[in-house]
Order: sequence, then C-alpha cells, then structure tokens
Amino acid sequence: MHTIGEAAALSGVTPDTLRYYEKERLVMPASKTGAGYRLYDDEALRRIHFIKTAQHCGFALAEIHELMTLKQADSACCADVRSVAIEKKLRIAHKLQALQAMSKALDELIERCAGGAAATEDCPILAALENGLSVVAR
Amino acid sequence: MSVRIELIAAPGCGKCAVAQAKLHAIATTMLGEDAVVWREVNVLEELDYAVSLGVLSMPAIAVNGELKFSSLPTPERFRAMLSSLEHS
Repeated sequence: MHTIGEAAALSGVTPDTLRYYEKERLVMPASKTGAGYRLYDDEALRRIHFIKTAQHCGFALAEIHELMTLKQADSACCADVRSVAIEKKLRIAHKLQALQAMSKALDELIERCAGGAAATEDCPILAALENGLSVVAR
Repeated sequence: MSVRIELIAAPGCGKCAVAQAKLHAIATTMLGEDAVVWREVNVLEELDYAVSLGVLSMPAIAVNGELKFSSLPTPERFRAMLSSLEHS
C-alpha cells in the first residue's frame, strides 16, 4: 500500500491530481487509515498509468472514464473500444482541419505586411483584422 | 434522380453491418432499387472525406453528400428522412 504522496511520486502526478481522480471516480484509494489517510494499491497505480497513457493519445478524462467502463463491462468487446478510438481520431482530425484553416488565415495576414518600422495605425494586419480578411491590403 | 446514401463506419463494427442491411432494404423499398446509390464508407480509409462531412461518431449516414444522422437512426426516422427527400 502507498500513501497519496508515494503513489503520486511513483506515478509522476501530484497528490492534488489523485484527489481529483478520486472526485471523478477514476481512481479510488484501496482503503483509508484509521486517521483517514488515503492508501493506494498496485491496481490504483495501474489505473493512474492507464489515465496518463490515454491522455497522451488525446483522450479527455470523460472519455477515459468511458474506456475504463468498457474495460470492466462484460457486454463490451474490442470493437467498442476501437470505435471510441476512431471517434477520438475523427475529433482530432476536425481540430487539425480547423487549425490548418487558422494557419492559412495567418499566412494571408503575414503576406499582407512586410513588417518594418511603420506606425501600427498603418499596419495591414491590424487593418485586415478590423475590416475582415477579404479587404485588400493598402 | 438517384439518391446517394453513404453509411460511414469502421470495418468490423457489428451494429453497423446490421444497420446497413436494414436501412439499405428500407431505402430500396421506398425509393426503388435503381434510384438508390448505396455506398459503405470505411472511415479509416476516407478519414478526410468523413471529416469534411462533419462525422464525429459512427455509424453516420450522409445523403447526397450531406450528413443526415450522426448515430444510428431508427427505421422510422430513416423513413421520415427519405420521405422528406421525396417531397423536396
């Protein structure tokens, strides 16, 4: 058994994070001491590791909760987990597309301005942001 | 004029396969075999296309290039959508 400080140190998270995981019912302490201190077992450490790895793949805590529920559900199968992963990939692809559009809009802004020491009131980038991107640069 | 119906799903999805058969049958019964162009879209092979349709969950259904259902519709909802196409 590990105290919250030990479990946090072993897992590379903070004790506050473990308290938050408990509040979200992601990782529960295995037991508590007579004085009320949380104690974590190896299964809890495995769950923390699972959360960290899933976060690395882009999963939010609510989605990780869903994955953990699937892991324990008798009726769930690999296809269910795979669907969650594919849907996550779809959401990431949507975000990437939005980021690419932002990057393209920034290219357009940067293109309008050669930089230099001109006063900001003459800045084509600020003008374009005020008037919309379709306005032709002065 | 034919109606292009696309079922966007991941291969190996059991519920998608069952849905595909049922909904395909409904579409051909309502619109006629020749009027339906049915296509199964493998989301992993055509991810960009799925994203362009706005697909976030599966199975999704697009009709004539427009996302109509982002989850499996009931046969009643699917029929209602097809009816609205006939009247538009």
